[in-house]
Amino acid sequence: MNRFIIAEPQNCIGCRTCEVACALAHPLPGGEDMLSPANFNPRLKVIKGARVSTPVLCRQCDDAPCANACPSGAIVRRDDSIQVLQERCVGCKTCMVACPYGAMEVTTVPQAAGVLKSRAAKAVALKCDLCIDNPAGPACIASCPTKCLHMVDQQRMAAITKQRREQAALDVPSLPL
Amino acid sequence: MKKVITVCPYCGSGCKLNLLVENGKVVGAEAANGVTNEGELCLKGYYGWDFLNDTKLLTPRLKQPMIRRQRGGEFEAVSWDEAIAFASSRLKTIKEQYGPDAIMMTGSSRGTGNESNYVAQKFARAVIGTNNIDCCARVCHGPSVAGLMATLGNGAMSNSICEIEDTDCIFVFGYNAADSHPIVARRILKAKEKGAKIIVCDPRFIETARIADLYLPLKNGSNMALVNAFANVLINEKLYKPSFVEQFAEGFDEYKAMVAKYTPEYTAEITGLDPELVKKAIRMYAQAPSATILWGMGVTQWGQAVDVVKGLSSLATLTGNLGRPNVGVGPVRGQNNVQGACDMGALPNTLPGYYSVTDDAARERFAKAWHVDSLPAKVGHSLTEVPHLIEEGELKAYYIFGEDPLQTEPDLGTMRKAFAKLDLIIVQDIFMTKTAMMADVILPATSWGEHENVFSSADRGFQRCYKAVEAPGDVKDDWEIHSLMATAMGYPMHYNNAQEIWDELRGLCHLYTGATYDKMADLGYVQWPCPTEDHPGTPWLYEGNRFDTPSGKALLFAAEWRPPLEKVDADYPLGLCTVREVGHYSCRSMTGNCSALQTLADEPGYVQIHPDDAALYGVKDQSLVWVSSRRGKVITRANINPRVNAGAVYMTYQWWIGACNELTVEHFDPISKTPEYKYSAVKVEAIADQSWAETHVRETYSKMKADMRKAALN
Repeated sequence: MNRFIIAEPQNCIGCRTCEVACALAHPLPGGEDMLSPANFNPRLKVIKGARVSTPVLCRQCDDAPCANACPSGAIVRRDDSIQVLQERCVGCKTCMVACPYGAMEVTTVPQAAGVLKSRAAKAVALKCDLCIDNPAGPACIASCPTKCLHMVDQQRMAAITKQRREQAALDVPSLPL
Repeated sequence: MKKVITVCPYCGSGCKLNLLVENGKVVGAEAANGVTNEGELCLKGYYGWDFLNDTKLLTPRLKQPMIRRQRGGEFEAVSWDEAIAFASSRLKTIKEQYGPDAIMMTGSSRGTGNESNYVAQKFARAVIGTNNIDCCARVCHGPSVAGLMATLGNGAMSNSICEIEDTDCIFVFGYNAADSHPIVARRILKAKEKGAKIIVCDPRFIETARIADLYLPLKNGSNMALVNAFANVLINEKLYKPSFVEQFAEGFDEYKAMVAKYTPEYTAEITGLDPELVKKAIRMYAQAPSATILWGMGVTQWGQAVDVVKGLSSLATLTGNLGRPNVGVGPVRGQNNVQGACDMGALPNTLPGYYSVTDDAARERFAKAWHVDSLPAKVGHSLTEVPHLIEEGELKAYYIFGEDPLQTEPDLGTMRKAFAKLDLIIVQDIFMTKTAMMADVILPATSWGEHENVFSSADRGFQRCYKAVEAPGDVKDDWEIHSLMATAMGYPMHYNNAQEIWDELRGLCHLYTGATYDKMADLGYVQWPCPTEDHPGTPWLYEGNRFDTPSGKALLFAAEWRPPLEKVDADYPLGLCTVREVGHYSCRSMTGNCSALQTLADEPGYVQIHPDDAALYGVKDQSLVWVSSRRGKVITRANINPRVNAGAVYMTYQWWIGACNELTVEHFDPISKTPEYKYSAVKVEAIADQSWAETHVRETYSKMKADMRKAALN
């Protein structure tokens, strides 16, 4: 099972601290140091509806529609998560269309000056990567002031499922079967 | 990398954080394990520090003293000697010609700290000889201070922020914790997890309403009627505690008579609330073993505000929810040090430590300590009275310290006209602001992070901020600037550091005597009253149900409901209410210069409007619209929002272009003189040519920024 980050909506206060933490944890190549509307690309988005506030982000689907749809093999499974190999991304946006959670965003970044300098921009497909290269773990989870974001891995899922089953057993009324 | 402990300079939650300093520059912030924040911060705490690096995203930092020899002329950079001589000689002339009461001053409820507010009010009282000093408590929790002083004898939160999570019932009235104090919102969530009942009274479906057990969407402007209805049910259903009332309260008979007609059925038309819902809510509050009332600007920014505060305080008294842990009344302070500015006497009616200026013995004691013959006994003017007093010729000089009234006061058009009539405007600040642009003298100060100081958090907690970096340019600490001004005006004043000032204050105020710098070292937290050095401080007030009123009893009080001043009509059919957003603070001179915060929200801001109203006025989501009142007209962006009620619109007050205070009405609570920011009649009009509107906003904004930059940088 892939690991994934999910929020408890009842504890989200819609403050967007996670969005900023995410954007700062993933600086885009060639961009300026300071955040600006032009380079603000958080991989999770806080949605405020009529009755709910919650960050929405990649569910790291085990049978990932984005990976299945990608024509250039840029989306792969690695370390129990779905990761994008940016060097292979051609910016076709098929993954954006395929994702049922709206968790993928394709954008372009200025190309780092190479020998040939043939291209001015490089496409990137941005989604939650679980801050996989950050030894401190996911930036959003650490920054959330109400601690509504959680990493769910196989162990945690098993613990939750076990607890739910136990609760379900207790809730069963005596049945005359 | 160096880590420097400080307190967040934004809301009043009092969050401790570490500024990360590299090569003399702040490069980051991390949460520290402070008493109120327990290792958590919100986005302003984490990302609200880079204004210290003078990003110039919004306005440039003030780095040199400047004077303007002629109104409308250019600023001229001068030496400190020349600036002080220029300002002090003019102030002296005005004092000689018109008397000390022709001079008005402000304290600063923001990043400067308690010591400088103490020195500012000392300058007003001992040097100028006036009580004309006020701070922005006037425009926020002034009614809470006035109301609670009268009913309980202390104007602050009765209990601590930490206790909120251990109460059994939280009664939220006109208070949007998620946007104003995320770290307090966190305590509300924790209380919910621990099983507390949550009741929310607010016209908007705020974040806390999402987790509420009962949500009461009252009509804008019906607060007093609802509070009276609560009291009516408490008494009629015998839900109150007669023994508590008998022993510890007074005024019950008058109170009972006043609320007698306010049955939930009678108030239903005023509040728009089902009588059964009102009864259910107050039963839930009364039956909880412990209950806490939290309120904010939704209670205080009305023409009838002090009365409502007294009414809320009376609900706590009736149910015995005072004088013990995890209960009480909680006016949660908005700005980081608005509690502190009040504690330091930056108010027209109190000396430091809340001694009344009419108290002869206290005045004599302060006069002796400050080496003057006497101190003024006449209560000074309020901040909000300033424009009228200028028009009437009573005020000639305004010494504005760390405030931006030309952004934050109501009816800015009237304010600007009045400002033009002043003989002298002195602005002491860290950034160029709309107010500083009008100044005759600009005295540039060190910022939070560049000096040591003490802040008071919303729950009376004193905490220390340490200095992280050197200030840029030729700037001075605020207390040093006031000292130089005092000395130039013939009153020698000199302090070597902030601690000397703090110790002088402690020596004069019994409430603070035990709060030493040592006790507040690092993460130390000392809640006043702290009368002696071996006293641990006071997390909750009124032990033994002894109140700080003259009689020692809590006063029960109710008043007849008064509707808001302005009425909506065919021309102006919507009620405008000004509110906060989580990413920006006050006039935004600080947060607007922070890259992350400016990225999340920028000009021209938003007007939140219900989908039905948007459809009625042909307004599309995210489109630019005109919002106008009888006083002005501004352009802003529509946010079609199902969480707001139809018939009302909501705007935040920090924008220059979408400046809601161009629209707000100048109407005050008769006691606290707090403006009715929460209700002005407006209309919203769609703009057909959106590309013109977008260009107009962009160009106007660029020009405003360029003008400020030019003025600040000479």
